[in-house]
This record gives sequence, C-alpha cells and structure tokens, in this order.
Amino acid sequence: MQTTVLALSLVLMAAVAWAFISAARAAGSGSVATNTESRRKWLIVGLAVVGVVVTALSLRPWPLAVGPTSAVVNVSGGQWYWEIDTDKVPLGKPVAFNVHTVDVNHGFGVMNDAGRLLFQVQAMPGYVNQVEYTFNTPGAYHVVCLEFCGVGHHDMATDFTVASN
Amino acid sequence: MTAIAEARGPAAIAPQTGAVKLTMLLAGVVILLMMLFGLTMRAAQGGLIELEPALFYQIMTAHGAGMVGVAGLTGATILWYFTGRYVELLAGVYWAFLGLFLLGVVLILGAIFVGGYAGAWTFLFPLPAISGGLWTPGAAIVFLLGYVSIGVGFLLLHLEVGRKLIATYGGIGGALAWPVAFGNGRPEDAAPPAVVAAMASTIFNTLGIVVGAAVLVASIVNLAFPAFTVDALLAKNMIFFFGHVFINASIYMAVIAVYEIVPEYTGKPWKTTRMFAIAWTVVLLFVLAVYPHHLMQDWAMPGWAVAMGQIVSYFSAIPLIAVTAFSLLVYLRGAKSMRWDLASALLVLGVAGWTAGSVPAVLDGMIVVNKVMHNTQWVPGHFHTYLILGEVAMAFGFMAWLARRRDESLSGLPGAFFWAYVAGGTGFVVMFLISGAMSIPRRWAVHLPQWHLQAQIASAFAVLIILAATMFVLRYLMRLGKG
Repeated sequence: MQTTVLALSLVLMAAVAWAFISAARAAGSGSVATNTESRRKWLIVGLAVVGVVVTALSLRPWPLAVGPTSAVVNVSGGQWYWEIDTDKVPLGKPVAFNVHTVDVNHGFGVMNDAGRLLFQVQAMPGYVNQVEYTFNTPGAYHVVCLEFCGVGHHDMATDFTVASN
Repeated sequence: MTAIAEARGPAAIAPQTGAVKLTMLLAGVVILLMMLFGLTMRAAQGGLIELEPALFYQIMTAHGAGMVGVAGLTGATILWYFTGRYVELLAGVYWAFLGLFLLGVVLILGAIFVGGYAGAWTFLFPLPAISGGLWTPGAAIVFLLGYVSIGVGFLLLHLEVGRKLIATYGGIGGALAWPVAFGNGRPEDAAPPAVVAAMASTIFNTLGIVVGAAVLVASIVNLAFPAFTVDALLAKNMIFFFGHVFINASIYMAVIAVYEIVPEYTGKPWKTTRMFAIAWTVVLLFVLAVYPHHLMQDWAMPGWAVAMGQIVSYFSAIPLIAVTAFSLLVYLRGAKSMRWDLASALLVLGVAGWTAGSVPAVLDGMIVVNKVMHNTQWVPGHFHTYLILGEVAMAFGFMAWLARRRDESLSGLPGAFFWAYVAGGTGFVVMFLISGAMSIPRRWAVHLPQWHLQAQIASAFAVLIILAATMFVLRYLMRLGKG
C-alpha cells in the first residue's frame, strides 16, 4: 500500500511540475488557447468521475468496520507506556483491539517486524476506540505511539507476538 | 480596478505600505528562524547533533506554532494590502492586528523557552494540563493566551475587511460575485478576483478562529480549574476545525498576490469569470466541511463525518486543480508578454507547489491510506509541500515584489537563489514522503538508526532552502534600506 501511494504521488506531482514548467516556458508567446472552457469542463468531469469511482471502491466495504471477532484484545495507553491484556494474539482470525487511554491522546500503531505500519487507531480520553486486523504471519509485532503525547512520546513502545497455530 | 469599484470611488491605492513592508520583514526573519528550528530537528533525527528530547519537543512546538502563525501573518498581510486597492481600510486596525500578533509571539516564545511548554502547536486536550512534569499549568496558560492574542488580532482584521467589502459590493453575495456565479450578472460588473478571495477567506477564517477561541478558552479554564473538563472528542473536533481552516485560509489569502501581481508582468488582467466565482463559493463550503479527514483514526467519530472528510477532501482539490492551477497555466500560455523575475517566479512556484502538495494530501485523506500513513512523516511531507513550495513561496514572492526594481530578470544570483530554493524544497519534502512511505513516525525526538539516513539527506536539502531563503530576506532588507 505505502509504496503504491508513494509512487502514485510522485508521478502525479511530477505531472503537475511538468505542466507548470511547460506553461512557464510558453509564457509570453501569446499562443491562442482553443476550447479552454471546454477542456476545463472535461477536466472537472474527469476528476469528478474518478472521485466517485475511487470513493465507491475505497469506502465499500467500510474500512473502519469491526465485525464479530474471535478475539478481543484490550489495550491501555498512558504516559508513556502501553498495556496489552494478552500475550497471545491469534493468527489468521480477525482480532478486535479495544484501545483507550488513562491520560492524554495517544496513537496505537502496530508495525510488523520489518517496521512497516499495518494499522493504527487513536486512544482518546473518555472513549474506547476499536480497530480490527487479521494477522496472517506469525512473529513479533511492535506497538508505537503515533500521537504526540509529551516528552516520552518516542519511547512509548511495546511488543506482542502472534503465535503460529 | 473594475467598473463597479471605480463607480464607488477610489480607495487607498497602497494602504499602509510601510506597515506591510515592516510586517513582511518580520515575517521573513521569523520564517528563517523557523527553518533553522526545522533543520535542527531533522539533524537531531539524523543523529548529526544531540538534542535532549525535552528541548526537541519545545523546538517542535515553537516550529509548529511559528510556521502556522507566520503563514497566517503573511497571508493576512497580502489580503489586507490588496483589499486596500478596492476599499478604504482603517490603518489602526492593521496596527492593532500586528501589535496583538507580536504580543502573542512574545507570550508563546516565553511559554516555550522560559516555561518549558512543549505540548505541540495543536494543544490537543488534555495534553496542556498533563505534561508529565515537563511544564506547569501556568506555562500552558501563557501559551494559549498567546494564541488568543493572535486570534483577536485576526478577528479585528477580518471584521474590518469584511464590513468594508460588504458595504462596497452590496453584501456578502456581491463580494463573492454571486450575481455572476448564480445569476445573470455581467463578469465586467463583478467583484474583482482579489475581493472574491478576500471575502471567502474572511468568512471561513473568522468562523475557524471563533471555534478556535472557544476551545482555547475551555482549555485555559481547564488549566486554571481542573474540575472543569471538556469532552476530548469535541475538543479534538474544534481544534482540528480551527487548525485546518486557519492554515488553509493562509494559502487562500496568499493567492491574492498571484491575482494582483502576475498581471503586472503580463499586461493581461486576471478577471472574475463565472467559473472563478463558483469555484470560490465551493471552496468556502469545502474548507469548512473537510476537517474530519484529520479524525479518521478516531473510531468514536460518526461514520458519516469521516466519510464526508474523505469525499470533501478529494473534491476540494477540483477547484484548486481545475480553476486556480488550470487558469494560471492557460493565462501564462495566453499572455503576449511575460517578464520573469524573482517575484513572478516565486508566485507561480507558489501555485505549483500548492497544487503538487494536494496530491499526497488527498491520498492521505482516504481512510484506507490514512490507516497506514496518518501521523507518519507522510503528513509533514504533504504540508511542507504546500507551505515551503506554496504559501511561503508566495510570501517570498510578495516580498520580492514589494522591493522590486524596474526591468529586473531572473538571471544571475536571483535565479540561482530561486532554483536553489526549488531544489532544496523539492528534495526536503520528497524525503519526508519517502520516510512516510517507510512508516517512520512523525514528531519523534529520537529516531532509530535505520531512519538516520533519510533525516540526514533531508538536513542537506534544508540547508539549501535556508541559504536561498536567507538571500531572499537579505535582498529584501537591503532594498528596503535603499528605499
């Protein structure tokens, strides 16, 4: 996901840069633009169509849904520690993480052993936020804080293990 | 000036030029200082220097508050200066705005570097009150009072601009060119582009600041009387509404410089068209509605609000791409003449950088992407794109224009500074984006060794930006001195 997003971003940003450099080079030539408003309308229609398609594809199924799960893991965050109520997170089954905080806002981010962020959810005072994830690879996973929470923010980390069945 | 404005009598052509020039000099110095703070943080993350975490987070707080503040300051100054071409504005209001801003800066810097406050510019409730022993509630109160002071100054400025535009252009609708957008009004009778942009920005920035003031006061009361608490989700909504609107308003105000200055280089006026007027009304609505895209990882948020955040986030880019950027591209190509100097180049760069920055921002505004990119370095990657290469570029362009000389060009040293700024800015933001794609978290004082190289490369690009920006400010200062 992240690599695709980066590649897409860089390509589109380069396209924007190319459009501006071309126009800057042509500036002052007095070239008569034809069908400007027609081209603009098609650009708007094109962007809108892409937007509708991308919206429909990316919101269904609802990406924040938490369904019936086989396991629930309760997570508590505080300045500057994480507490997880189990050290046995199942493999290959949806796991619901119930995340809350005892003090300020924190960000519960889970990375795989390669350091790639898999999912995250905020821990907010007075609320229990839920996030669902299915682990398909056994091994060690790392929890980091992704919401600035004070001087120990970068030290707020822990690990858990997804055991092979 | 349009026919309607001419018919209503001439306004001051160059309102408070001295105050505006002074403001831009102060802004230039603050931008340089904030850039040095940014370099310090990237160098620390790259292991090039050692920085205590407490000091890192103080610098981070100053950098965030300072850059957002100075973006707002430069945007509002541009708005004030060019609105003054169409309506007569009270000089005292501008001085009050500037005085309150400077008072706010003193309070904020004092709270951070004397009081030790390091709760980030976003003052996310209840962090100001729960510091883990790093700062006192008093320091947090002083920091928040600094925001209040700055906010009151902005409200005064917007109220003065708003009331004069409403009085001159026949109400809010007239100033937003609604007769052209939604009626049978003639474009030649419509409010000029600068007025439309100023009216829209005034409306959404006023609403944003009022909401910001409410949560600031609630936070201050909480600090003074801890028994008074605020719902954390409500506070978060209010803070991100305020923050999102304010930083967007800074860019939308700064683009007025493009509408007003670039025509001087082409001899071709920038006109209010039906599409332009519709786009600004759409922008007005979208800027107010899009902020839930900052709250996508808050499961407690209503699903419809988060979905709206994603949808509006995407569709917000359409007026920018299809109207502002597209119009500038067509405008440049169609101009019979164009003179490039530091001012015109930086202003066009500003629109290009703003547009380019919208790409990673829109992608981050998708829930599925946000789940794995939010609060990684992807986020500073996109906002530094539309600040360094967008709003700040426009501000530097406005400064260069204020101190312009006849028949200048982009050759020689100014051209070298300009391209150094472009290269440094591009490299710097791309390193953030790459780091974000590698899941490196944002706002960490200490980075793992495997993340050092990215920060080191970014530091080198930051040096390049700072060198170029220093030259922009020194050149401006020397020219002001010569008159």
